[in-house]
Amino acid sequence: MITVAIGKGRMQESALALLARAGIRLSDGVNSRRLALMDETRQYRFIFVKPLDVPVYVEHGIADCGIVGRDVLLESEADLLLPLDLGISRVRIVVAAPDPQAMTNVQGMIRVATKYAQIARAYFGARGIPVEIIQLSGSVELAPALGLADMIVDLVETGVTLRENGLTVVEEIAESTGRLVVNRASYQLKSDEVSRLVKVLEDVV
Amino acid sequence: MRYYIGAEARLRRTVEDVAMSVFQAWNYEEVITPSVDYYDLFEQGMGQREAQRGFRFTDNDGRLLALRPDVTSSVARMAATLLSERPRPLRFCYAAPVFRQQPQSHAEWRRENTQLGCELIGAGGKPADLEVLRLAAEILSRLNLQSRYCITINNVEIFNGVAAHLNLEEPVREQLRRLIDTRETAELQRFLKNYDNPDARAFSQSAQLTGKRNVLQAARNAITNTRSLAALDSLEELWTEIESLGFENSFEIDLGDVSSLDYYTGLSLKIFVHGAGVSVGRGGRYDGLTGSFGRAEPAVGFVLNLDALTEVLGRISKQER
Repeated sequence: MITVAIGKGRMQESALALLARAGIRLSDGVNSRRLALMDETRQYRFIFVKPLDVPVYVEHGIADCGIVGRDVLLESEADLLLPLDLGISRVRIVVAAPDPQAMTNVQGMIRVATKYAQIARAYFGARGIPVEIIQLSGSVELAPALGLADMIVDLVETGVTLRENGLTVVEEIAESTGRLVVNRASYQLKSDEVSRLVKVLEDVV
Repeated sequence: MRYYIGAEARLRRTVEDVAMSVFQAWNYEEVITPSVDYYDLFEQGMGQREAQRGFRFTDNDGRLLALRPDVTSSVARMAATLLSERPRPLRFCYAAPVFRQQPQSHAEWRRENTQLGCELIGAGGKPADLEVLRLAAEILSRLNLQSRYCITINNVEIFNGVAAHLNLEEPVREQLRRLIDTRETAELQRFLKNYDNPDARAFSQSAQLTGKRNVLQAARNAITNTRSLAALDSLEELWTEIESLGFENSFEIDLGDVSSLDYYTGLSLKIFVHGAGVSVGRGGRYDGLTGSFGRAEPAVGFVLNLDALTEVLGRISKQER
């Protein structure tokens, strides 16, 4: 048996749908509120945790595998194997601002509000643009309108939320999709089980 | 920061004693190296990227010191300088804490880890490689981890040969290395499409990178450059020896182990134990190291992480009780 950690929320539904297509069904129904479930064949145990915690569980080997967005992986810098891009929950990580020319128009230090401090710091750092990162935990789109920040770094799925808050995409940092991640030790020690999971998912991606 | 009290401390001491007694039975002499040394030593020994993770501070005269982030650098310098006249090969072992800065979230987050290690200096080729592999296997089975451990082996020259054959510039080579290291199969295939080269195909399927003898055959079918082929040959010879010792169930070939390329020059190995979420040891051949201290000669060694071993053994004995 191997343990698979799945990020709750946005990722969960599409991950479970993908698993179902691969013939892996949860014994207790998707709507259960239990946080640990076995699949019908009892080959897999699924645990549902906060997306940011998926890399933590997998890196420590508490979970052998995980399903989590690339955005979370970039933010956590965990040391994991990434054998499969699942192509689910496709989003873009972007810089957005009220002013489309914000990159050149902002005077002095740029203030960036984001949930993704690490990604933002790395992105602006690589381009040599000094910024002040303001870490928020949600409703990031509000920050520019209220004067907390000049721009934001956030995920965009459809762009509706950005538009409704008067923001436009200034630059795209990366695309993010759901990924299968694997613990380095499990990859060696449970290689048969892990490669079976990789194989059945590969066939339906 | 970790305290060991009572039974835990005794278990830890036992693990250390087992390892040291195996080392000594194989004629490895114990060495004790300074905990504090000039930072330059470690930068020369480990390379800048790794040495920078050490804790650094200045001496009264302004020179940069470091708490040792590894023991191998000190042993290599000792062999090249203090013991340059001693007949080869030299065999050394140690049990010593090393200190590294770690990001908080990291699974191996401890700043202080005790390494149980050995270095075989002045002996090259298969017999020396095999000797350290047998040593590692003996320690693990003496710790009753017989059916629970897995040692992966690779020869870094397989990757180096392919990278040289493709004529990769350093940043691109690093990108290729990272894709192989993290087994990003799809991205790797996309990356290798830019290089219409049969050798590149050897790395294009992550499933082909780990396994037993079959892995070598799969790689051989793809690779044409002589440097990689020579490395494949020596890996295969080593594997044949492992098979003839009856160890093949505890060993695995992992061509995707390319995590410390700038350090190792031939064999590289990683040690895993069921129940431990991270590797409990690593090692390999580093023929380039003693040269940077003025006397180039072959060298091979490995370290086991005493704290990780103690933790997993403690957990196993709790489960069995």
